[in-house]
Amino acid sequence: MTTATDTPMLSPSFNLSRVIADAIKLEMEADERIVVLGEDVGRQGGVFGSTRGLQKAFGDRRVRDMPISEMAFTGMGVGLAMSGYRPMIEIMFVDFIGVCLEQVYNAIAKNPYMSGGRVPMPVVIKTAGGCIGSAAQHSQCLWGTFAHLPGMHVVAPSSPYDAKGLMAAALRSDDPVIYIEHKGLLLSKLGDFPHGAEVPKGRYTVPIGEAATVRDGRDVTIATLSASVRDALVAADELAGQGIDVEVVDLRSVVPLDADHVAASAARTGRLLVVDEDYLGFGLSGELITRVLELLGPGALRGIARHGVANVPIPAARSLEQAVVPGSASIAAAVRELVARG
Amino acid sequence: MTLDLMTYYRHMLRIRHFEEACLSGVASGEIHGELHTAIGQEAIAAGMVGILRDDDALVSTHRNHGHGIAKGVPLEPMLAEIFEKETGLCGGFGGHMHLFDPDRLFSTTGIVGATLPVALGHAYAAFLDGSDAVAVAVSGDGGVNTGGFHESLNLAGALKLPLVVLVENNDWAISVVSSEVSAVGSAERAPAYAAWGTRVDGTDPAAVAVAFAEAVARARRGEGPAIVEATAQRFRGHYEGDPDLYRTPELKEAMAAKDPLVIARRELEAQGIGTDHLDDLVAESQAQIDAILARVRAAEQPDPSRAHDHVFTGGVA
Ligand SMILES: Cc1ncc(C[n+]2csc(CCOP(=O)(O)OP(=O)(O)O)c2C)c(N)n1
Repeated sequence: MTTATDTPMLSPSFNLSRVIADAIKLEMEADERIVVLGEDVGRQGGVFGSTRGLQKAFGDRRVRDMPISEMAFTGMGVGLAMSGYRPMIEIMFVDFIGVCLEQVYNAIAKNPYMSGGRVPMPVVIKTAGGCIGSAAQHSQCLWGTFAHLPGMHVVAPSSPYDAKGLMAAALRSDDPVIYIEHKGLLLSKLGDFPHGAEVPKGRYTVPIGEAATVRDGRDVTIATLSASVRDALVAADELAGQGIDVEVVDLRSVVPLDADHVAASAARTGRLLVVDEDYLGFGLSGELITRVLELLGPGALRGIARHGVANVPIPAARSLEQAVVPGSASIAAAVRELVARG
Repeated sequence: MTLDLMTYYRHMLRIRHFEEACLSGVASGEIHGELHTAIGQEAIAAGMVGILRDDDALVSTHRNHGHGIAKGVPLEPMLAEIFEKETGLCGGFGGHMHLFDPDRLFSTTGIVGATLPVALGHAYAAFLDGSDAVAVAVSGDGGVNTGGFHESLNLAGALKLPLVVLVENNDWAISVVSSEVSAVGSAERAPAYAAWGTRVDGTDPAAVAVAFAEAVARARRGEGPAIVEATAQRFRGHYEGDPDLYRTPELKEAMAAKDPLVIARRELEAQGIGTDHLDDLVAESQAQIDAILARVRAAEQPDPSRAHDHVFTGGVA
């Protein structure tokens, strides 16, 4: 994972999408069994550009534009995998998973198990999640939904470095991986990322299932992922001026969930706030807190809290959206409240 | 069942000006989500005007404004919803892709292909009610390749339900050319579902009206489902902000010749209608939308404390 100082780097003027496309390209060069199927992945190179250049590089047999037939082309991923290929299926927005969830959770996730280990499913489902102001059907995260269903690894990178390394790891994995990009980050330039903005040109992986501390602090641990890492870092800067020293842990993977890392951090700071842009109930925040308490014991921490989308669809109006989706201001407020409790 | 060209021209102007008002909301940041307009496709919605009753259902897509207008949804609450205002059709909770006007059985969804199953439910309700109401589902040429399209039309054909599928064929599903990923056209699929099917020039409102009225009349008489495919061009990117690099400048120029408003105006002039009169119509339509837009702009966004209303009928999450 460490990179030598003389490693050639991608230009800071690249956006995150270009980094992801670069990661896929390198893996496709190394493994000709990788094929990419999805809407707008070919001629356009993805609605956010995260498959740009792939069809030109590898032809339309390996990188193919699909009709709006998610059930069919997600199911094709199953058959391709069983025929020895390593398909990457793009579901444009994670919100559309409803129409093909059947193939995802009943076949991709379960075939390895049902076959007694005889049929691996090296399938990557690449999809964009997160809020972009487009209301109830286009602004969800849903990583908790996949995580609840057994058999899938789930990753949601926050930084360009991790986006590339986790994509490479996903494409090399023999297990199914749900790779969730954040719609709100894909067009950001590398230079604008607060962490992990330096991306080597060559191939490397970031291990699936390992969290990373992106900011050290003494008073409280924020565990979060995806675009909320950026918001948590902004909140942490603000809180530093108010005498609260925040540690920020980027989970990076939801499955496997690195509860050990979070528990170690929380044990040091004494307080844990889980921030999740996904729905609050029955999801990542409850799971993580439970696992941390299982590791540390019920009385180990001075304070525990969680901050997520409190079981309400994402509303259209900006005023309503800001009231339900965590942002840097609401994260800072949640930290202050946690600290004020003692 | 057709109206005169002058009337169609006015309907098309209203839709165009409405869409342009929406564009101004994106530019100003008042609309902060995705916006899809049907600029270039106005003749299809205009051709639907006057054919449906309030008790006929219309289920539309992400590109839905013209259909709402054709169904008689009042312009001001519709624009206010698109502008995310508390005075909107849905109080600002739904937004542009999620318009609901239950009084006129008009609804929309942002999930491609999700219109047909819902319209099929309306059609079955009409059957249960013993009513002669019909249900219309709108789809793009991309939406016809979803599983829901096939499943719904099969069921409608098997049960002879009054489902009319209006396919707006603008050739493209974002950057994908639909003919490259479709085994056959949409109208050609009709026989597979024991449905009536036809393809019309969707830049000609009268042609759309004739075909759509026929489909609705057949469904009302209990003769089962229909597919009406209307061809037109989408002038703008898929959504506002789409760089639209997948279509060449030459293609865009050729598309511009298919502007239904330009075509209609040329025809009206050929009929001897004076330019001044036509200019007056344009100004009148613009003024009407401008007045609505001003009121919409002055309205408030919903109060954030209400964000948890409506999750359940009781109001509280
Ligand atoms: C199930 C599903 N898949 C993908 C999308 C993303 N998407 C939105 S509109 C669109 C293209 C639709 O094309 P078409 O049906 O031809 O309608 P048009 O946009 O041309 O009006 C796509 C792929 C979606 N909203 N829902």
